[in-house]
Amino acid sequence: MMQSMPGVPFNLDAVPTVLKDSATEEKGETARLSSFVGALAITDLVKTTLGPKGMDKILQSSSGSVTITNDGATILKSIYIDNPAAKILVDISKTQDDEVGDGTTSVCCLAGELLREAEKLVDQRIHPQIIIAGFRKAATCAEDALLAATVDNGGNADKMRDDLYNIACTTLSSKVLSQARDQFSSISVDAVLRLKGSTNLDHIQIIKKPGGSLKDSYLEEGFILAKSLGVGQPKVMENAKILVSNTPMDTDKVKIYGAKVRVDSLARVAEIEEAEREKMMNKCEKILDHKCNVFVNRQLIYNRPEQFFADNGVMAIEHADFDGIERIALVTGGEVVSTFDSPETAVLGRCEKIQEIIIGEDRLIQFSGCAKGEACTIVLRGANEQLLDEAERSLHDALCVLSQTAKETKTVLGGGCSEALMANAVDELAKSVAGKESLAVESFARALRALPGIIADNAGYDSSELVAQLRAAHAAGKSTCGLNMNDGTIGDMRELGVTESWKLKRQMLNSATEAAEMILRVDDILRATPRPREDRPH
Amino acid sequence: MDGPASVARGNGMSKESDGFLSRVSERAKSTRLGNITAARSVADAVRTSLGPRGMDKMVQTETGDVLVTNDGATILEKMNVQHPAAKTLVQLSKAQDIEAGDGTTSVVVICGALLEASLELLEIGIHPTIISECFQIGLDKSLGVLESMSTPVDLENREELVRAASTSLNSKVVAQHASLLAPLSVDAVLSIAGDERQGADLRNIRVVKKLAGTVDETELIPGLLLNQTAESGASGPTRIEKAKIALIQFQLSPPKTDMENSVVVQDYAAMDRILKEERTYILQLVKKIKATGANVLLIQKSILRDAVTDLSLHFLAKVKIMAVTDIERDEIEFISKTLDCVPIASPEALSADKLGKAELVEEVSFGSEKVVKVTGISTTPDKPKTVSVLLRGSSQMVLDEAERSIHDAMCVVRCLVKKRAMIPGGAAPEMEVSVQLAKLAKQLPGHQGFCVGKYAKALEVIPYTLAENAGLNPIEIVTELRKLHAEGLQTYGINVKKGTVTDIGEEQVVMPLLVFTSALSLATEAVRMILKIDDIVMTR
Repeated sequence: MMQSMPGVPFNLDAVPTVLKDSATEEKGETARLSSFVGALAITDLVKTTLGPKGMDKILQSSSGSVTITNDGATILKSIYIDNPAAKILVDISKTQDDEVGDGTTSVCCLAGELLREAEKLVDQRIHPQIIIAGFRKAATCAEDALLAATVDNGGNADKMRDDLYNIACTTLSSKVLSQARDQFSSISVDAVLRLKGSTNLDHIQIIKKPGGSLKDSYLEEGFILAKSLGVGQPKVMENAKILVSNTPMDTDKVKIYGAKVRVDSLARVAEIEEAEREKMMNKCEKILDHKCNVFVNRQLIYNRPEQFFADNGVMAIEHADFDGIERIALVTGGEVVSTFDSPETAVLGRCEKIQEIIIGEDRLIQFSGCAKGEACTIVLRGANEQLLDEAERSLHDALCVLSQTAKETKTVLGGGCSEALMANAVDELAKSVAGKESLAVESFARALRALPGIIADNAGYDSSELVAQLRAAHAAGKSTCGLNMNDGTIGDMRELGVTESWKLKRQMLNSATEAAEMILRVDDILRATPRPREDRPH
Repeated sequence: MDGPASVARGNGMSKESDGFLSRVSERAKSTRLGNITAARSVADAVRTSLGPRGMDKMVQTETGDVLVTNDGATILEKMNVQHPAAKTLVQLSKAQDIEAGDGTTSVVVICGALLEASLELLEIGIHPTIISECFQIGLDKSLGVLESMSTPVDLENREELVRAASTSLNSKVVAQHASLLAPLSVDAVLSIAGDERQGADLRNIRVVKKLAGTVDETELIPGLLLNQTAESGASGPTRIEKAKIALIQFQLSPPKTDMENSVVVQDYAAMDRILKEERTYILQLVKKIKATGANVLLIQKSILRDAVTDLSLHFLAKVKIMAVTDIERDEIEFISKTLDCVPIASPEALSADKLGKAELVEEVSFGSEKVVKVTGISTTPDKPKTVSVLLRGSSQMVLDEAERSIHDAMCVVRCLVKKRAMIPGGAAPEMEVSVQLAKLAKQLPGHQGFCVGKYAKALEVIPYTLAENAGLNPIEIVTELRKLHAEGLQTYGINVKKGTVTDIGEEQVVMPLLVFTSALSLATEAVRMILKIDDIVMTR
């Protein structure tokens, strides 16, 4: 500010202030260092959650709520981040979550390891662009190697099922569900196979009920609504024709402010009351005209209509919130209606049987044999809410991966096998690449190999020893070797059935490389003036 | 910059990667230590309330209310725990409450002991994942031992069930009334119990608390108790024999429309007419009710308008109809199930076949407190049954504690309905499991043997605490008990009354197998969860 004041001589040594107050700029080395360190900090935060023996984190929000999770995407989504490079990593993990649903930690770790290697190269005065060029070559080579190692059982339904089951096992083994892995793998495979290739997971509903243990969870055919039936309603309905609606069942009020009736005797008030009731009963009659035998409403159904429906043998289910009616409409093939004047155009949902069931201590309503055969419900039981939430996240990951794999049926081996395979292929490539780029290619291989290292570290084994053995095994042509984290040795992944989706691995490889490249290219960080904030906990 | 990425401004970047690695593991260590310490302090807080000679806690709530209890779940719930790991223990106790209903203190104490064991193992340098797995092995073996030492239960054998309920009640404040409450809980649960798959839904038992008399005046009523009182404004009847009960969901008051309305009065004549009209309107309603033969009215509460007015009460009294108001909407189902009647939503729907029948409906008063008692209800036999318990006590605190104790006792019986097997009490199963597991640990290889050994040792916390709370010498008692179990005397346990180790099988102190298996599984699960956590991250 001083420079601009009139009368003060212009100081040639000082750089004029171009940026606004408290906006900052970091240049060259500093900028690169800052992004490296930010990205590595994020990587180190999530890397302990990787692999079958990965650890969990407690996420404590400022409001005091507590989440215990092992899901990379969930952790990254919720932490404070004030570093642009770190944000890039969070974003790729989010993309991974959206695209394939799992591998969110792996993608972040790989990007972090690539940057760790790149940092060393930068220290050796190798230009970032050369590193990038090397990484690109390596990535293409790794992708080819990965593709060459894929197995496609898409044509064979039985084998496909085995593949899916193995993938589910692999995904779930790193999650809280690992103790009941086989059971949940079957549940999720069955659920996904019902989808018949669609990736719309809305058909699979997950209901969480505290109590019991994870082993008491099960897959229920059809849809379950967490509501109870009204008093005096039929408790079982076969061949249900369901009218799904969203309409008020107390009165249809005239929504004019201050609408008011004036009468001169109490008898008239009673008449109006009667008229209001008539109107409601007319509405109920109209609903009956739809020839439905089940009426599901989003809003409350009051005593009188409820009794009316009960008298006419119609099962009335009230207060089935937004999510509920939309799902019912979806799985039974009906449409949500809110006016009842034209029964012929309304589409009724259908299912074979509706009945009240008891899960734990609660009564719920089950719709089985729905028009859309995809529908199914996974009932999760567990000791407490936190466990159930985490179980739901894990199951969701597994379902995502499975539904993607059911579409793109190529599979690869897990347990660090694919990484080791790619690393060896990249190593081979490094030998034939001329110039400084080959250093970058070598580094890429090292970064890939770091992933099995992290997995072994987390399980409490000697990672250097295991990774070296793994490398040797692959070099000796045992291309199905990976880490056996049950015994702390290396073993044949094909025999152990540790399988992963090819799409997941490819996505991971590509986004991690892209992210690393993007961060490497940065040579200047400009920060706008931050908006003033309140004190944050650290 | 104070987010996790704040390292950006740090120095010494060249050594960054190694330095960071060791820092992370150091951090994981301290996180784990913090979690375990926090969780253990919670466990220590409830430790002294374990067992028949356990102490009570006085809890003062935020609102200043005082609560005296010995129930682990209740103490923890009121404790206002902040630390995330400690919260896990609170939930653990809640989960045990849902699953088994009893043993809520034991589960926390076991969890605390297991955490202590895992802390020792961590200090030696064993990886948390390995500890966690070994504990799972320990659990699986323990469940096997428990299964083998349990004895099957026949639900017909009421004596045996009463003994199990007594064991649970003996550790509560109301222990001196166990001889009354135990058979009462057994009868209550058995009368509503279904088969093994259905279990028993405790919601079919209604407990009504009244602050009058003492706990030993508590009674089981094979009918319905209503906390509401009969409307006595117009000196209507309070006792009806051969009652016909109508459960109505409409109101006996002047009409009110959903739309705003006002009655315009122009002269005095009109005013008189309006008053008269109101009378006629209500009289009509009352006549309609009378016409169905109903002589008891249960009226649902409405927020929109008064359920009854002085006028309607007057008419009801005249035609000798007893009226009970303020029935909540969520009570309707229970009442209609109990009385075998159908709720009536509008005056038009009134009909004789929707009424429930009972031999006697009467308002009973104890001092200033009143309840409405419905007995001799005629129901169709295949309908689900319900019962009511009238709980009495001399102070609110005793009453609340008695309610919790009775709930626990009923849960014990429910457990036996669900899983029909019993094990001896008095810390005998804990010691047996511990001894058997210790034997087994010697055959397991490597880390496993060591960790399972620790797991076995940790289970001794229950006999130790039990003896300690009873004022006995814990070391002496536990050692003797261990010796006897090693000699194969499975059923020996701590006899708190005599202050020695005796054959618990003879003392008839028994508990359901499910209570202990669920406590052990849940505690182990919680410990494994805490061990797996390596970081606490602050988030938005």
